[in-house]
Amino acid sequence: MTFKSKSGKSKLGGALLAAVMSATALQGAFAADDTIKIGVLHSLSGTMAISETTLKDVMLMLVAEQNKKGGVLGKKLEAVVVDPASDWPLFAEKARQLISQDKVAAVFGCWTSSSRKSVLPVFEELNSILFYPVQYEGEESSRNIFYTGAAPNQQAIPAVDYLAKKEGVKRWVLAGTDYVYPQTTNKILKAYLMSKGVAESDIMVNYTPFGHSDWQTIVSDIKKFGSAGKKTAVVSTINGDANVPFYKELGNQGIKAEDIPVVAFSVGEEELAGLDTKPLVGHLAAWNYFQSVDADVNAEFIKEWHAFTKNDKRVTNDPMEAAYIGFNAWVKAVEAAGTTNTDAVLDSIIGVSVPNLSGGTSTVMPNHHITKPVLIGEIQADGQFDIVQETAPVVGDEWSDYLPDSKNLISDWRKPMSCGNFNVASGKCGGKGS
Amino acid sequence: MISGFVFRALEGRIVAAVGILLGIGILVPALNLLTPPDSAIHIPTYAMALFGKYLCYALLALALDLVWGYCGILSLGHGAFFALGGYAMGMYLMRQIGPRGVYGNPILPDFMVFLNYKELPWFWHGFDWFIFAMAMVIVVPGLLAFIFGWFAFRSRVNGVYLSIITQAMTYALLLAFFRNDMGFGGNNGLTDFKDILGFSVQADGTRAVLFFMSALMLSLCLILASAIVRSKFGKVLVGVRDAESRVRFLGFRVENIKLFTFVVSAMMAGIAGALFVPQVGIINPGEFAPANSIEVVVWTAVGGRGTLIGPIIGAILVNGGKSFFTGAFPEIWLFALGGLFIAVTLFLPKGIVGTIQHGLKARHALKAAADAEKGRGDATTVAQAQAAE
Amino acid sequence: MTSKVAFRVLQSLGLLLCLIFSLAAPSFAQQTDPKPLIDALSKADFGEAEKLIGQLAATGDARLVPALNAFSEGDLYFRKSDNLVFIGKAAGSNYELTDPVTGASAGQTAKNAVTKIKINNSLRRVIRSAMGGLTLLSPDRGVRLQAADAVLRSPSAENLELLETAISKETDGEVKARMVEARAVSLLSSDRSIDEKRTAIQTIKNYGGRNAIGILMGASAGLDPSLKGDVDAAIASIESGQRLWDIGQNVWYGVSLGSVLLLAAIGLAITFGVMGIINMAHGEMVMLGAYSTFVVQQLIRDHAPGLFDWSLAIALPVAFLVTGAVGLVVERGVIRFLYGRPLETLLATWGVSLILQQTIRSIFGPTNQEVGNPSWMSGSFPVGGMTITWNRMWIIAFSLSIFVALLVVMKKSSFGLNMRAVTQNRRMASSMGIKTPWVDAFTFALGSGIAGIAGVALSQIDNVSPNLGQSYIIDSFMVVVFGGVGNLWGTLVGALSLGVLNKFLEPSVGAVLGKILVLVLIILFIQKRPRGLFALKGRAVEA
Repeated sequence: MTFKSKSGKSKLGGALLAAVMSATALQGAFAADDTIKIGVLHSLSGTMAISETTLKDVMLMLVAEQNKKGGVLGKKLEAVVVDPASDWPLFAEKARQLISQDKVAAVFGCWTSSSRKSVLPVFEELNSILFYPVQYEGEESSRNIFYTGAAPNQQAIPAVDYLAKKEGVKRWVLAGTDYVYPQTTNKILKAYLMSKGVAESDIMVNYTPFGHSDWQTIVSDIKKFGSAGKKTAVVSTINGDANVPFYKELGNQGIKAEDIPVVAFSVGEEELAGLDTKPLVGHLAAWNYFQSVDADVNAEFIKEWHAFTKNDKRVTNDPMEAAYIGFNAWVKAVEAAGTTNTDAVLDSIIGVSVPNLSGGTSTVMPNHHITKPVLIGEIQADGQFDIVQETAPVVGDEWSDYLPDSKNLISDWRKPMSCGNFNVASGKCGGKGS
Repeated sequence: MISGFVFRALEGRIVAAVGILLGIGILVPALNLLTPPDSAIHIPTYAMALFGKYLCYALLALALDLVWGYCGILSLGHGAFFALGGYAMGMYLMRQIGPRGVYGNPILPDFMVFLNYKELPWFWHGFDWFIFAMAMVIVVPGLLAFIFGWFAFRSRVNGVYLSIITQAMTYALLLAFFRNDMGFGGNNGLTDFKDILGFSVQADGTRAVLFFMSALMLSLCLILASAIVRSKFGKVLVGVRDAESRVRFLGFRVENIKLFTFVVSAMMAGIAGALFVPQVGIINPGEFAPANSIEVVVWTAVGGRGTLIGPIIGAILVNGGKSFFTGAFPEIWLFALGGLFIAVTLFLPKGIVGTIQHGLKARHALKAAADAEKGRGDATTVAQAQAAE
Repeated sequence: MTSKVAFRVLQSLGLLLCLIFSLAAPSFAQQTDPKPLIDALSKADFGEAEKLIGQLAATGDARLVPALNAFSEGDLYFRKSDNLVFIGKAAGSNYELTDPVTGASAGQTAKNAVTKIKINNSLRRVIRSAMGGLTLLSPDRGVRLQAADAVLRSPSAENLELLETAISKETDGEVKARMVEARAVSLLSSDRSIDEKRTAIQTIKNYGGRNAIGILMGASAGLDPSLKGDVDAAIASIESGQRLWDIGQNVWYGVSLGSVLLLAAIGLAITFGVMGIINMAHGEMVMLGAYSTFVVQQLIRDHAPGLFDWSLAIALPVAFLVTGAVGLVVERGVIRFLYGRPLETLLATWGVSLILQQTIRSIFGPTNQEVGNPSWMSGSFPVGGMTITWNRMWIIAFSLSIFVALLVVMKKSSFGLNMRAVTQNRRMASSMGIKTPWVDAFTFALGSGIAGIAGVALSQIDNVSPNLGQSYIIDSFMVVVFGGVGNLWGTLVGALSLGVLNKFLEPSVGAVLGKILVLVLIILFIQKRPRGLFALKGRAVEA
C-alpha cells in the first residue's frame, strides 16, 4: 500500500497518482482485506465488567494510536469488540466466533483464569493467538497464549522478600479468596517461606468466598494472630471486589500499616479508586507497574489515556501496562514476520523487546511469558502508590520451582524443542514423561 | 401399554417438532462435513457448536417446563442439575486425558497435581468408564432431586418458599464447587478435554456426532415429556398445578406425583449438561450461579410455559439473541435482554407459543361460534378447538 | 557500645535540658540546630533516614513535631535547586512551602521544582516513636494522650526516663494510666532490675486485652528466664478473661452482620413479603441508594466541603426519594399489570434489574465509586475486651430505627392500615373506598425507598459498583423466607439469627463452609416450618 509515500510527494501528479491508487486499493478492499482485525475479548457486563471494561478501552486506545502511526504492515487495524458477559462458556463461544467468523489475527482478552482456561482449547484448536494481560497463578504454558501479566515469581515472591527484609516480618497471614489463583499462590508462598525457615505455626492461611463483604471476624483473627509478639504481615490474594470492605474493616479496626502491613496482589489504582485511602497509607501492593512510575513513556501514556477517555481522573494500572506490552509486542512481531499468519508471528515474537511503562523494556521469552521489573508500592492518601522498591527485570516463571510436580518443568516454544512442559529430569516433553 | 403410552405422545405437533429437530440434527452436521467451506450452504463449525449449545439449553428449558409448566413447581435451581450432569461428563473427559496432561500424571488431572493431591479422591473413581459416567449423568442429578424433593414435598413446601430453597440449593452448590478442596477444580472447573470414547472432542466429526446426539436426546426427551403429560398421570399433574389441595382430597399422593416429575426433570437437565460440556469444552461452578437458573425460567416463559414446544423455541430464541447482541451491540445488549423479559411478561403472558396457540384457539372458537350462529355448528368443532389447546 | 551509652546519656541529658528549658523559658531551648539534620533527609535512603530521625528525636526539640508529622504524612519535600527541605502543601498547581523548623513561610513553588522525600512503614514507625517522645510533655491533653499511645505501640527503653518524668507531672487520669502502661511496656526491654520488671508484668496484666498478650509474648524472648513463669501466668490470666469477651465480640459481629442482612432485606419484606411480588430488582434499589449517596457526596465535595460529615444525613432523604420514585415508575409501568401472577413478577423485575444495572454502568462506568466515611463513622472504641467499630454500631442503630419506623407506619398510620387492608383482602378494601391501585403503587414505592436508604448505609461498608445489588439479593430472599413472608418481626429475627449463626460457624469451619452450612440449614429449616419462622396464621395461608 502506498499511503506512506503519499506525504512524501509534493507534486500534483504524485498526489493524483496516489489518489488513483488509493481508489483502486479501496475497491480491492471490499473483496480482500485492507484492515487487520484484532479481537477484544473482555467482559463488559456481569461481575467482571468492573475490571475488564477498562482493558477494552485501553485496547481501543492502542488500536487508535497505532492507526495514527499508520497501522500495521500498511493496513489499518480494526478492533472487534465482543462481550462474553462474565460467563465462562460464553468466552469460549466468543473466542470461536472471533477467530473463525471475524477472522481476527490475534485476540487480546480474558481476566480470570477460568475464562482463560475456557478459551485455551479454542485457541489451540483454531491456531490463533491470545494475549492475556493479568497476573495469574502460573502452571500453564500454551503455544498459542502469551502471558503478559505477572507469574507468581514476578509479584508474590519479591513482595514477601521485601517484607521479610525491610520490615522484618516473621509471621505471615496468607489471606485469599477461595479460588485457584490464591490457592496456588499461597501454596507457592508457603513452600517458599518454609524453605526460608519460617515455622508452620507462624503461617496462617485463610480463605473467604467470592465477594465476601463481612470481614469483622477475619480482621479480628488477623489482629489476634498478629499479637504474638512477632512482626506480622498479611499477604492478600483477596479478589478485587472483596477488597473494598476488607480495607474498610482494617481501617476501622485500627490496623495500621506500621503495625500489620498488608501486601496485596490484586489491589491496584483501579480498586483504590473506590476507597478513601487515608486510613490505608502504608499498606503495600506488588505489581510490575504503578501509575506513579516516574518515566517519560508513562507520562505520555497517562496523557493519552486521559485524552482518550476524556476524563483526567481515570487511573492507569498494571493490567493496562500488560495489555500495552502485549499489543506492542504483537505489532513488532507482525512487522518482523511481514504477515499476521499465526505460525509466522509465533516464531517472530520470541525475543521481541518493547518498551514497558516503567521506563525499561520487556522481552517476550521462549516460555511465552515476559520480563518485567517488580515494583513494591505503598498506598498513599491520594489513592496512588509510592514505589519503595524496584527490582531488575524478572523473567516470568511459568512452572513454579516451589511446587513438587512442576519444579522440573520448563517451557520453550522455540524450535526444535517447541514444548510447553519439558521435563529437565527425564529430558522429555510432556510433563513427567512417564 | 407402553406402545400406547408412546403413541399418545406422538400427537401432531410433537411429531412435527421431532421431525424438525431430527432433520436439523442430520442436516446441520451433514452441511458442515460434506460441503466445502466456501460453499453458500456450508455451515461453519462455529455455528454448529453454537447451535449445539442452544439444543442443550433447549433440553434444560424443556426439563424445567415439565415441573413448572405442568406441575407448578417453579424451580430456581435447575441449573444445579444441569451442572451436575455436566460435571459427571467433565470428570469422564478429564480421566480420558490420561498422561497427556501438562504434568504427564497418568492418574491425576492437572489441577490435582499442582494442588498437591497425592491420590484420586474416592468420588473420582469409576469415571474412566464411559458407561459408569453416563449413568452418573442421570443418577447424580436424579438422586439430588429425589432427596431434595422427598423432604420438600413431604413437608408440603410449595410456592415461593420452594422456589427460594431451590435457589438456596444451587447457591450452596455454587459455593461448594468453588472451593478448591472439593476436588472439582475450584473456580477453573474442568477443561482442556481431549477425547470422548477415543475420538478427539475437537474433530469436526465428533462435533457432528455430538450435535446429532443433542438433537436426538432433545427429541427423545420431548417424546417422553409429551407421553407423560398426555397420560392419565399427566392429567393429575396438571391438577396438582391448578388445585393441589383438591387433588389431595381426591386421594392422590401429591408428594409422590411431584417427586416423580421433579426427578425425571432433573435427569433430563443432567443429560443436557452432559451434552453441553464436550461441546463448549468447559464446566465450572459458574453454571451453578442462581442467575443462570433464573435465565432458564426466562427462556421457558418467553417460549411459553405449559407448552412443550415453547421452552425449546424460547431457549433457542433468547440464546440466539444473546449471541447476536453480545457481538453486535456489546454495550447495550442488557437493555435489549431486560426489555425483552418485561415485554414478554407484559404483552405475551403465555409466551410466544402459548400466545399463538391461544390465537388459533380463539379463531377456532370464533369460527365455531359463527357457525353455531348460522345454525350449522355442531359440538365437534368446538371440541376440536378445545382439544387443540 | 560506648557510643550507644554515650548517646543515651546525651539523649537523656538533652531531654532533661529540653524539659527544664521548655518549662522555664522556651526561647532558650536552642541547642544543636536541627535544620542541617532535616536537610540531610533530602539525600538519605531509608536506612540513613532512620538514623537521622533518631538524631532528631535526641535533640528533644518540640519544634520538630510539625516537620516529623509532615514527614510521616508524606508532606516533606526538598527543593531540587538547593536540596533544602520544606513542608509542602499543595496549593493549586503549586506547593506552599514552609520552613520545617520555624514554620515560617518560604513562598510558593512549582510542583516539579521540588521532590517528595520518600517514606515507608518502618520509617513511619520510627517517626511515631520519636514523636511520642517529643510530645509527651505537650501542654495539650489530646497530644499527650496520642504521645502515650505512640510510645505504647513502639516501646523502647530510651523513652523510659522521659515517661517517668511525664507520669510524675501528669494530672489527667486517662493520660496517666496510658503512660503508666507505656512505661511498664518500655521497662520490659530496658536493663532495669528483675523485680521492677515483675511489677511491670503485673501492670500490663491488669490492663489486659489482646495487645497485652502480644506485648508479653514479644517481650518474653528477651527477658530473664526467671520471669518466664510470671509472663506465662499473666498471659494465661489475660486469655481466660479474654475468652468471655471473645464470645461477646462474636455475638456483636453476628448482630452486626444480622443488621446488614436486615437492612438489605427490610425493603424486600414489604415488596415481596407484604405485596407478594418476587422483586428481583430489589438489589438494584439498594444499589441506586448507594449511588445517590455517592452523587450527594460528590456535590458536597465540590460545593460545600464543610458539610461532609452531614453527607449521609442529606443522602438519606435523597436516596429515599430517588429509589421511591423509581419504584413508583416500575410499579405503574410494569408490576401493576401482573398482580395475581406472582411468579411472572420474577421475570419482569429480573428484566428491570438488568436494565437498571446497565443504566448505572453506562452513566457511572463499571468501576467502584468512592463513598467516604464521615469522621463519626470511622474508627473504633474499646468496650472491655471488645472492639466496637463506629460504623457497625451506627449501622445496627440505623437498621433498628428503620425497622421501628416501618413498624409504626404499618401499624399506626392510616396509610399502613390501607396497605394491610389491601394485601389482606383487595376486593373488600376496594369496596370500602380505598384506592387500591394507589395503595399498591405507594407500598411498592415505600419498599423501594427503604431499600434505597439501606443502600446509603451499605455504601459505608461495601463496594459501590453496579454489582452491589446482585450480592445482596439472594441473602435478602433467604432472610425474608426464613423469617416468614409477610411478617416484619420474622424478618428481624431471621436476619439477626442468621447473622449470629454465621459468625459462630465462621471461626470453626471457615467463611466459605460456614456460608454453605447456613444455606443448608435454611433448606432444612423450611422443611420443618414450610412457612418460615413466623408464619401468618389463618386463611391467608392457602391463598
